[in-house]
Amino acid sequence: MNKRSAHAKQNSRPRLLEWRFILVATVVVGVFSALVVRAAYIQVIEPDSLIQQGDNRTKRVRVTRAHRGIISDRNGEELAVSIPVRAIYADPKVIHANGGFSDQRRWQALADVLGQELPHITSRLGDPKKRFVYIQRQVSSAMADYVEELDLPGIYLRDESRRYYPAGETIAQLIGFTDVDDKGIEGIERLYDKWLTGTPGTRQIRRDAKGRQVEILEQTQGHAGKDLQLTIDQRIQALAYRELKLAVGTYKAASGSAVVIDVHSGDVLAMVNSPSFNPNNRSNVSAHRIRNRAITDTFEPGSTAKPLAVLAALEFGTVELEDTLDTSPGWMRIGGSMVQDGKNHGKLDLTGVIRKSSNMGTSKLALSVPKNHFIDNYYQFGLVGDTGTSLIGESGGIFHERRRWSDFELATLSFGYGLSVTTLQLARMYSTIANDGYKLPLKVIKSNATAEPEGESVISPEYARAMVHMLETVVMDGGTAPKAQIHGYRVAGKTGTSRKAVAGGYGEEYVNIFAGLAPVSNPELVVVVLINEPGGDLYYAGDTAAPTFSRIMSGALQMLNIPPDDKAVSSLAAVSGGAQHDS
Amino acid sequence: MLRSKLEPHANSIWHRLHIDLPLFLALLVLMGTGLVVIYSAGGKDMDLIIRQGIRLGVAISVMLVLAQIPPLAYRRLSIHFYVVGVLMLIAVLLIGTVGKGAQRWLDLGFMRFQPSEIMKLAVPMMVAWYISRFNLPPRIVNIVVGFLLMAIPTLLVAKQPDLGTSLLLASAGLFVLFLAGTSWKIIGTLAALASAFAPIMWMFLMQDYQKQRVLTFLNPESDPLGSGYHIIQSKIAIGSGGIQGKGWLQGTQSQLEFLPERHTDFIFSVFSEEFGFTGIVLLLILYGFIVVRGMIIAMRAQEAYSKLLAGSITLTFFIYVFVNMGMVSGLLPVVGVPLPLISYGGTSMVTLLAGFGILMGIGTQKRLLSRE
Repeated sequence: MNKRSAHAKQNSRPRLLEWRFILVATVVVGVFSALVVRAAYIQVIEPDSLIQQGDNRTKRVRVTRAHRGIISDRNGEELAVSIPVRAIYADPKVIHANGGFSDQRRWQALADVLGQELPHITSRLGDPKKRFVYIQRQVSSAMADYVEELDLPGIYLRDESRRYYPAGETIAQLIGFTDVDDKGIEGIERLYDKWLTGTPGTRQIRRDAKGRQVEILEQTQGHAGKDLQLTIDQRIQALAYRELKLAVGTYKAASGSAVVIDVHSGDVLAMVNSPSFNPNNRSNVSAHRIRNRAITDTFEPGSTAKPLAVLAALEFGTVELEDTLDTSPGWMRIGGSMVQDGKNHGKLDLTGVIRKSSNMGTSKLALSVPKNHFIDNYYQFGLVGDTGTSLIGESGGIFHERRRWSDFELATLSFGYGLSVTTLQLARMYSTIANDGYKLPLKVIKSNATAEPEGESVISPEYARAMVHMLETVVMDGGTAPKAQIHGYRVAGKTGTSRKAVAGGYGEEYVNIFAGLAPVSNPELVVVVLINEPGGDLYYAGDTAAPTFSRIMSGALQMLNIPPDDKAVSSLAAVSGGAQHDS
Repeated sequence: MLRSKLEPHANSIWHRLHIDLPLFLALLVLMGTGLVVIYSAGGKDMDLIIRQGIRLGVAISVMLVLAQIPPLAYRRLSIHFYVVGVLMLIAVLLIGTVGKGAQRWLDLGFMRFQPSEIMKLAVPMMVAWYISRFNLPPRIVNIVVGFLLMAIPTLLVAKQPDLGTSLLLASAGLFVLFLAGTSWKIIGTLAALASAFAPIMWMFLMQDYQKQRVLTFLNPESDPLGSGYHIIQSKIAIGSGGIQGKGWLQGTQSQLEFLPERHTDFIFSVFSEEFGFTGIVLLLILYGFIVVRGMIIAMRAQEAYSKLLAGSITLTFFIYVFVNMGMVSGLLPVVGVPLPLISYGGTSMVTLLAGFGILMGIGTQKRLLSRE
């Protein structure tokens, strides 16, 4: 068609040209229509996802950190507080766009103030595609101001908060700590993280490409974290920690724990562990120091469990308070195994069994009652299962549920072998005895609820009181722990020197425990001290745990203004009180 | 007969001033729109508007002056113009000034000058002059020579490198050849050659950054933070405009500086975000009107040279619009072509309006010519 017309006209205005122009014009219109269709596609059909993407680029949610709640002791003394600090971060893209690290002097100043090597910093900021790198977090205001004045391009500061623990190592394991993002990762900080954290406020904003806020679209007010009050009395806590640390050092022990319980409320007044750590500087803390041994580590309670055998027999009625037992010749065979005392104690009354800590006596008492009743006692006094604190990592102890208990196993149970308990569990058992046999759950959080804690009576008050008096004889001269005496107060308690179980039997290491209460006339406090693996010459609980108990209990009684009940402050007590300090 | 219908105001005052009124008005509306959008895209910078206004004034003056010159004069000057232009392009490659990673400018001492802009007019003039010397449709030999006349400056510009301008030069020349009546057979052969040439171009001629642009165009999401950023941001800006648009000065993507090059090459995104689909349709109608008006002028020209030149100038303008909008909306790879008469920027504006001046001259002076 074209060719024919082309041949037909050869002048300067051939028809062919007209045709081409019209064709081109048509194509132009067609292309413009295509552009319209393309625009329609982007703007009418696809806009939702594109508007969304646009919002993705401009809308931001800025979070205003909620102030983390304060943890305080029962008297309001602050144990964990948040202090404002700054984070230094960098935008490598901006740095590289502004000449990189050419200003050597100022960059070196930054490295110096942060105590980092300059090459270390520059290598982390080397990738110009990155937009956010933390350089150092939780720096003090003074350091942050200095960095700000360096005025390095691409280096910015951000507010954040840092947890500070005024009580330091004295309560480190119980309180735990937060990570760098202010999230609780250990102890109370972790257990009550949600409570303490509160809800951060949010601001939905529109920002420009440089991150500047242009408008606020939506704002929600945050709630500051709620404060938390513990049952701990920091005065007692600090005292207990000081004494325990001293004891662990003096007796060359591997570790130690101590707890102080308010008998009538079940409040934990102190819970200390040694070795401890500084929660404000955790750069080189080994994991074992962080463990809250008082609730995580279990030990065979040894002789400290002996009151249970006596109480079981009394409660079941196989013995009366005035009865005596014959423990001679100081040993017996049960099913091919031997149970023996250190020496032949001959005839003992119940008080004697406790005071002399006679394995023969408790074994006979244990075997005098039905097995179920005897085993049940261990549950009743809280040596199995948790104590009620709901602390993270709390062990429920180790108690082998058996269908059939051999007589020998029951006998060993009666003098505290064959089960493992935590320091806190043992403290609960003694609190129950001290509280007239009324068992309470233990608490570390002070609740405002006025409702009485749910407890239960596990033994008759009469027998509980009798046991307190039996335990008092242990502390008296001639008992196993005269070093536990406190000038002016009547004290009761029991030592436990148990060999540590190792694979295949018992090793050469000891655990020294002293569990005691005071004042005897109206028990208010229970203190349990555990010295693990004393390495020195002293490895009897009466020599290690007992004097430590005495100092902790003595200090606690005075701090709480509990009146002395030893009306006839005997010269004997005064002398032995002096003796404590010599040991 | 046909002509008198198409040209009712042949003897009007505008005609005497050699101004094509519909075209002139359409251009003014377009330039006005441009100022409005630049004000928004440039962050309400009055300096920007004043500078652009001065450029527009200069460019309009150039257009009106060029409109007074009879097409015959252009025809005579075509070859000189072209030869000087090519020599300057060679000079640019040898002694040119480097800016923005490309060697495009000649430093004349008192001003920096971009010879490739001259070629935007010189190439269609030269090819039209050459082709119109022979009987139409042209023979193969003529076409090949015409093609070479186009290809030499195109390759010189591509070497700078300036892909956008070389594309415009190529299309200007090819449009002349096409309008001159190159047979479909030759067009088909050329197209086949071009597609065969494409891989060679890819391998040997294209710069890495140009290859990257093509790859990015094919899949912008492959590198959303790098070279795909422009296209993605631009599409988001256009898309978030919706049907009505967000309103003047209300575009978030553009106002908040997410869009790169927003008052120059990517101004269409700003326009689209703020004026929406409605605005785009109106803008395309305006552009369409200008192109159609140009084509009408070309068709009415009596003499082959004027006809071919007018058609080429008009279609090159169309290519500007198409390539820019296609690039901004993700239909075409990113090549540095401004949105004609809207984008902020000087040289291309002057060249464009100079072209329209020639076009108006052709449109208003042909009768005088035919009377001669």
